[in-house]
Amino acid sequence: MIKASLRGLLQRKLRLSLAVFAIVLSVAFLAGSLVLSDTLNARFTALFSTINQNVSVVVQPKDPQAVDPARLTEAQLRTLSEVDGVSAVSPDVSAQGVTPFRTTDGEPVSADAALGFGVDGNDDPLGLIELREGRWPTAEGEIAITAHTAELAKVKRGEQLKVYLPVLNEPRSFTVVGVAGYSGGRDSLAGEVVVMFQQAFAQRTFYGETGRFGGASFAAEEGVGDTELKRRIEEKLPAGFKALTGQESSEEQSAQVGVLFDVFKYILIGFAVVAGIVGIFLIFNTFNIIVAQRTRELALLRALGAGWSQVAGSVLLEALVVSLVGATVGLAAGIGLAAAGEAAITSEVELPSAGLVVAPLTVILAYLLGVVVTLVAAFVPAVRASSVPPVAAMRDVVRPDKSLKALSIVGAAFALPGVGLVLLGAFADLGGTAFLILLAGAVLVFIGALLLSPLLARPIVRGLGALVGRGSAGDLGVRNAARNPRRTAVTAAAIIIGVTVIGMTATVVQSFKTSLEDIMGENIGVEVMIQASVTAAPDGRQGFNPKALEQVRAIPGVKEAAAWHFDALGVSVAGQPQAFGIFATDVGQASRMFPFDATDGQIRTLAAQELVLDDNIAETLKLKAGDRTPVVIGGVTRDYTVVGVYKATPIIQGILVGEPAVADFPGPLAFQGFVSLNDGVDAAPVVEKIETIMKDYPGVQVGDRQSYVDQATASYDFLLIAVQILLLVALVIALLGILNTLVLSIVERTRELGLVRAVGLSRGGLVWMITVESVLITVFGVFLGLALGVGLGAAFTKALMTLEFATVIAIPWLELAQYLLAAVVAGVLAAVIPARMAARLNVLDAISYE
Amino acid sequence: MTSPVTDRPVAGAGAAARATDLWKVYGSGEAQVIALRGVNVELERGRFTAIMGPSGSGKSTLMHCMAGLDSATRGQLAIGDTALNGLGDAGLTRLRREKVGFIFQQFNLLPTLTAEENILLPLAIAGRKPDPQWFKTVVDTVGLGDRLGHRPNQLSGGQQQRVACARALVAQPEVIFADEPTGNLDSRSGAEILSFLRRSVTEHGQTIVMVTHDANAASYADRVIFLADGQIVDELTEPTADAVLDRIKRLDVVATGATE
Repeated sequence: MIKASLRGLLQRKLRLSLAVFAIVLSVAFLAGSLVLSDTLNARFTALFSTINQNVSVVVQPKDPQAVDPARLTEAQLRTLSEVDGVSAVSPDVSAQGVTPFRTTDGEPVSADAALGFGVDGNDDPLGLIELREGRWPTAEGEIAITAHTAELAKVKRGEQLKVYLPVLNEPRSFTVVGVAGYSGGRDSLAGEVVVMFQQAFAQRTFYGETGRFGGASFAAEEGVGDTELKRRIEEKLPAGFKALTGQESSEEQSAQVGVLFDVFKYILIGFAVVAGIVGIFLIFNTFNIIVAQRTRELALLRALGAGWSQVAGSVLLEALVVSLVGATVGLAAGIGLAAAGEAAITSEVELPSAGLVVAPLTVILAYLLGVVVTLVAAFVPAVRASSVPPVAAMRDVVRPDKSLKALSIVGAAFALPGVGLVLLGAFADLGGTAFLILLAGAVLVFIGALLLSPLLARPIVRGLGALVGRGSAGDLGVRNAARNPRRTAVTAAAIIIGVTVIGMTATVVQSFKTSLEDIMGENIGVEVMIQASVTAAPDGRQGFNPKALEQVRAIPGVKEAAAWHFDALGVSVAGQPQAFGIFATDVGQASRMFPFDATDGQIRTLAAQELVLDDNIAETLKLKAGDRTPVVIGGVTRDYTVVGVYKATPIIQGILVGEPAVADFPGPLAFQGFVSLNDGVDAAPVVEKIETIMKDYPGVQVGDRQSYVDQATASYDFLLIAVQILLLVALVIALLGILNTLVLSIVERTRELGLVRAVGLSRGGLVWMITVESVLITVFGVFLGLALGVGLGAAFTKALMTLEFATVIAIPWLELAQYLLAAVVAGVLAAVIPARMAARLNVLDAISYE
Repeated sequence: MTSPVTDRPVAGAGAAARATDLWKVYGSGEAQVIALRGVNVELERGRFTAIMGPSGSGKSTLMHCMAGLDSATRGQLAIGDTALNGLGDAGLTRLRREKVGFIFQQFNLLPTLTAEENILLPLAIAGRKPDPQWFKTVVDTVGLGDRLGHRPNQLSGGQQQRVACARALVAQPEVIFADEPTGNLDSRSGAEILSFLRRSVTEHGQTIVMVTHDANAASYADRVIFLADGQIVDELTEPTADAVLDRIKRLDVVATGATE
């Protein structure tokens, strides 16, 4: 029995290779994602292990992100260095965002990390960094830099270098007195920029006073283990600090950095999921076809005494072999994918090499995915195979198409409540829960639509066919596409899935963009935007100094310039944490630039301890004008008075406090600036002038209104592109599915093909007939997918409108037309091989019987 | 390759179809099978010719070659005044559209089309308009008037074959090739089909060539050609079923004697 099914497998290898390919794609994405993330992790671990190579124990603040993190005093540092077993200590005085400006064009150097350190004039006691030329800085105006920094900033020893100083929030000029490198001759560890200052200067600048340290690294004497030293240091550890062994520190740091690359991981896993789901349909179809073709053989096996479970088992065994082959190839392809991804990432970020990491878990998950997907897909065909009656071996047993009634009733049972939930979520004012209801509804509608698609296949294909099915060959193609609605629907399922997802995303993104443009165009008295690109939540420690706006106001044609501050870290109002943070600005000025619509109290320039908020938040916090409520900003609790409540709109929402409150913020920098111009003033030259002013602040961008819209929608465009790639994956699999189905149809209809040739259809006509069938299946999928996608996208947008995140539902017709066109092209491509097969058929062979 | 000239005049243009010194060889070396050995035959216009012979005699091969479905190894083939030799696929396709009709043993209707659509399919493929008068005549001849809207799976075997006959007749081809048209039918349905073919020859001057191994079927023809071992061995005009059977018996004896 096993031998028979394995031999059969080899004979059907062409058809099965399509099923294998579906598994390969899905497994490759999963394995690629896992290998890439493990490999990057290994590289980061290698990086931080290099940094910590001579470090036995690290002492650092428990919460380095705190507004005012703990610092070590000289005395505390001395106590720790005197712990028995410490051989060397390297105190840490450092800050991030210490960005040098290129000497050639004055632009800030762009690097993933820009670090500043304070050094005491002696060589690194832990031997990580070593001087290559010159000396360590010993005076305030002196710096040493790494060789990589020197190269990026185009500066040599003895020259002046302008460096942006965080905390001080302004650039200063220094003399480069030394150039350093890392042990082992490396210019940088990971492409980072490093500036080393005189220690006292760095302490004063970064920490506000001398004699303070952010932490320290300790080397151990010979014979003292890291864990042992850590235990001894912990005994003397001041409050607010923690001790880690060098290895623990490396792992912690690499885990933190690794999170940055998680987005790639999730995109690839998304691809794997879509490829897996779509693959199930392809495999399902393939096995159905194989079972249909093997009816006589299976019946013979049954007639010879095989039990139904043996027949079903033989199909499942075949599926298992296919899945193992697919998973193996997929795993290899995934490793290749990861290697490519790693090469792409490391061409941007320099990292020590660590080799590709293929964890056992990756291998297990890859095979698990391949096997589960295949067996799930092959289950129904296996059961179908087992129900072949033995008598089918002797004569043709017509197994009539099962009625679509039961399937359609189940489909409707999913779709109708789904539609209800979608409408409820879209139109009822339910706040955030609306989206959960909508999502549940969308899933039900989607499953329902897939189940109903066989019922819809015939009318839709005929309707579409009326457009393309000109001529008798075309007409025959249309009839063939409508002939077996189940087969057409299952074949189109991959496309339906892919197109629904993209149609939905495209509609939401387009609506969001159009809404934003509408609002920006109509209601905003702002012509120029200043925006800080920040690596962390903007809390006043990154951005630009609001004093710079005084220069902006002096530019001819500028009417007003407003600085906006923001903080979300530990912020709470009325005892409730505010994850969306608090803005600080001159609200009176803001109300002249943005459409504030007061529903309670008034919207005006705020004094200290006054706030305004939008109606949604006011309702949640049960606050109204005149109420007093405790507000925590920067760790300080004060009682604030609610001055006014305004209507939330897509452009203006949240809690606003006055400029006096900025004193409580973790830093004094503004993260956004808005500039209005006098009537008739051209924005472009103003943008240019403001750019010059903002040049001192690394990462601050200046643009006109459109650039703001572009920037606000950039992340959605990224999402759209990711989904488009996903569509491509689905289309490729769908293409294989269509090819598969068409090849089967040609095998089944050989005699019909011979007949139409015998009565005068040309080869070209035959090719056209098959192409029409293919394109119709594809377009049917796109049609249904777009209808579903746009409908659900519109529903999601409607829910966003209820929450004031959008104003209009915009349908991206142009993009939809492109997807349709892509589907037609895919349909034509899928028909190439089957059409060639059909055209090559010998007419005589085709019509001769047995 | 010569260019597919469909109207190349050939000698003997009075015949509807013609084969001269036709050889057909399959395979090569030890596996070589000679299906036809220098067959010379002319099928007259407006006549009903039956080709008979035992299994393996080459009768189907002869018909397939003459209909342009199979190529000759050697020899000349023509339908009407068109030489088949050297015609490419496009030329053969045109030939099939304009000059040839087929009726097969298994009914070979398209399941997606109604009876009427199946009948009109060759005309639709060729982009020709049916002559309504002739269409009605054909449909009346085969007696399908009330079944035109049905699909093949709603028709009996005999009805399906009548649709196939109508399909061949409606285009008024130079010659209709029928390959065992009654082979899958009960005797009554078979007789009906054969009478339609007979009538279309007698009343409308249609040329028909039929391959059969059924002596009774052959008796409907004007002329019966007997094939054995790839050669024409005998022929009979105005046959009766008994005469045909008689000839077959004699041929069997000859064939058996020849091989032993």
